[in-house]
Amino acid sequence: KTNQGSGDQTTQLLSRPRLQELVREVDPTVQLDEEVEEMLLQLADDFIDTTLNAACSLAKHRHAPTVELKDVQLHLERQWNMWIPGFGNDELRP
Amino acid sequence: GTQIRSIKDEYLVPMGIMQNRVKAVIGKHGLEDASAEVSSLVCHAVHERLKNLLEKLAVVAQQRSDLLIKT
Repeated sequence: KTNQGSGDQTTQLLSRPRLQELVREVDPTVQLDEEVEEMLLQLADDFIDTTLNAACSLAKHRHAPTVELKDVQLHLERQWNMWIPGFGNDELRP
Repeated sequence: GTQIRSIKDEYLVPMGIMQNRVKAVIGKHGLEDASAEVSSLVCHAVHERLKNLLEKLAVVAQQRSDLLIKT
């Protein structure tokens, strides 16, 4: 495992009960194995870290002092084809 | 200005914990602290990502059990 992940921060961002709540929301009939749960928690953690690191690189690339919404949005769009509505200026969207 | 939010503002990851993580990562890169909106956006994004994964998992699991019944 590379050093790029959470590394020294061991606090888990997403809790098991919250994940189970989400599972019930998506499909109440689905039951997750403990190992699958563990993996999903890890995946969520990695997703957050990669997103944040990518946003930082983009901010640095435009010589900005800090990360802005557009840095996160650009990464999410390019990497995951994901657009979250309600942030920043949606009118800029084509 | 007015903001229209189509997603309910209920976070998958508690905002305090997320803000700490954002602060830590940004600090590691030597950047200044970001606005709370950045944390909020990342919260929504991880929600979306997990929801998407779970939906796919549910379909795959269903298909697997259907196959088991057939054989």
